[in-house]
Amino acid sequence: MSLEFDWLFLAEIMLAGLGAGGLYALTGLAFVMIYKATRVVNLAIGEMLMIGAYLCFGLATAMNLPMWLAILVAVIGSGGAGALLERVAIRPMLGESPIAVFMVTVGLASILVGVVELIWTSEPRRLPEFMPATPVMIGEAFVPSKVFYGFLVAAVLIGVALAVFRFWRGGVALRATASDQQAAYSMGIDVPKVFSLSWTVAAMIAAIAGVIVGAVGGISSTMGVFGLSVLVVVIVGGLDSVLGALVAGLLIGVVESLAGGFLGGEYKLLATFLILIVVLLVRPYGLFGTHEIERL
Amino acid sequence: MRRTVLKSLLATAILSATAGLPAARAADKEIVIGGSIPMSGVFAFAGIGIHAGIQDYVKMVNAAGGIAGHTLRYVPEDSAYKVDQSVAAFKKITSQNKVNFYYGDSTAFSKTINPELDRAGSMIMSGASFATELNDPKKYPYQFVAGPDYTQQFGILLRYIAQQKPGAKVAFVHSDTEFGRDPIETSRGVAKALGLDVAIEIMTPPGAVDVSTEIAKLRRARPDFTIFHGYILGPIPEFIGQARQMGLDTQFMGTFWTMDNSTVMQMGELAEGFMGVMPYNYYYDQSAPAPMLDKIRAMRPEYQNVPYIQGFLSAMLYAESARRTLAAGKEMSAANLKAALNSIENFDTGGLIGVPVTLRGNTIPVGRIYRADTKARRMVPASDWIVLE
Repeated sequence: MSLEFDWLFLAEIMLAGLGAGGLYALTGLAFVMIYKATRVVNLAIGEMLMIGAYLCFGLATAMNLPMWLAILVAVIGSGGAGALLERVAIRPMLGESPIAVFMVTVGLASILVGVVELIWTSEPRRLPEFMPATPVMIGEAFVPSKVFYGFLVAAVLIGVALAVFRFWRGGVALRATASDQQAAYSMGIDVPKVFSLSWTVAAMIAAIAGVIVGAVGGISSTMGVFGLSVLVVVIVGGLDSVLGALVAGLLIGVVESLAGGFLGGEYKLLATFLILIVVLLVRPYGLFGTHEIERL
Repeated sequence: MRRTVLKSLLATAILSATAGLPAARAADKEIVIGGSIPMSGVFAFAGIGIHAGIQDYVKMVNAAGGIAGHTLRYVPEDSAYKVDQSVAAFKKITSQNKVNFYYGDSTAFSKTINPELDRAGSMIMSGASFATELNDPKKYPYQFVAGPDYTQQFGILLRYIAQQKPGAKVAFVHSDTEFGRDPIETSRGVAKALGLDVAIEIMTPPGAVDVSTEIAKLRRARPDFTIFHGYILGPIPEFIGQARQMGLDTQFMGTFWTMDNSTVMQMGELAEGFMGVMPYNYYYDQSAPAPMLDKIRAMRPEYQNVPYIQGFLSAMLYAESARRTLAAGKEMSAANLKAALNSIENFDTGGLIGVPVTLRGNTIPVGRIYRADTKARRMVPASDWIVLE
């Protein structure tokens, strides 16, 4: 490499980082959705993403559905599964201590991995190709097609989610429930329905993220670890902030990519967790999270 | 309640006391293979194959009358590919049986259990690990690897590369895991000695999904050959796909755990031309007479993966060292079994490996380069067998 700084390389890894960040943000959105409505820290988000990807895989390969239909059915199916999980595992925990509910989601994660290994075994697999293979060039910079389209899908979905929260009745109900459950109840909002809705929508978003993550990196019963990176994203962004998930997702995607590009792959996680520590020290409730004041 | 417990305890004690005599006699004429086998968990696809391989070989030997009047008995336990569970399985199996051979499921287990093997002095072990570190007879006197260790696998690949294109530029792409880092340091020197230029080493974090950054680096290094290590499947297809999209002309290669037929074929069209090192013949190989493969195909008409062959060969090597120890009239101790194993020279594996094998140190440093043919959905040989000296 010449002594001159390789600007194209910088551009390419920044774009790659944004692409990865889009996926972080999208999965972070699913996480925030659940936290905002139900105050449940859902550690099973990575596994919900995995279930979505595997459903899609099963429908596309075993049942030979065309890929677009497989994705659609998988997303709807995941939504159903999300509603079911909420009804069976989460709602009975209403009013229990947050740590107990948290542990239920840890258990859920484990069960979901077991389900996948039972049905599809633990062998790593590939989703059928469904995105155009021609690379996208932004100026002279090369952007892999999957990363580009994945980012587009993530951006659109996040935009829709922001709009829904703002304008749709259900979204407003969700925000109302988030800010004060008792008040929401007394205003006639069906709070259990809001809970169910939030898990359904989050599971659907996670399924879409799962299909994209699976298309990029392949699917396996360990792909749920992606959820761990997302946990960092939402903590940095603020657990209850959609905008926070968006900004932190992109930030962490880009920082990881820069660290990987200029320092080496072993520095990626180091960079991520450094950000986490710094943010926790400076703004313990995240960049955009609600600053809760507890008075004793 | 208490009385019933006592009663049943007593009954068990009497039963085992009376059953003890014939059982002990039978045990004298037994050779026991224990195993921490990953039948569940992330490594189950390999574990199930390994299990079937060991089981089949044991069945074959026993059907043919055993070894010098001894029958083989295989005692497996599921390890779920977790070290603590593997160790628990080891304790359970070795406390209930007089184990002569043991199959371990991971590098971590091989390292953890090593002092235990040294202390017991009664069994030798191999396993699913091809770790370079295990190829040290001083540190691991009672262990061996039923194939080439990872550095030797790289050595075979690099030798092939040097033959094909002297002075070629090579890239190493590996995961940031113990498995991934294993051969990198040592192979740098091997490449240099062969006159190759290691243009770039790229490390990917474990569980990395998007590898675009790494591919941007790879593209700038413009290697003629790119060797992946420390992965099973992901993110290899993504590397190949993106490299093809950007017109990067490099030959991609893999090591053992990527090279099973079904794993490579999962890459679909991207697999075309993918190469790698494999110490064994594939299940379907018909290119040379292979009586053992014929028997395997007769027993199991459907494709068996390479972990199956590895398990099968491991059991074969166990049996061979037992045979040699018994033939020499020696006691079945770890030292004698290992000495017998190390006396194996130009051994015919019945075609599991295409050339007669010799154990050097703790490994069998042999392999062949294969190339994926996606039309036939098979791995086809791209080189002769390469034996490292």
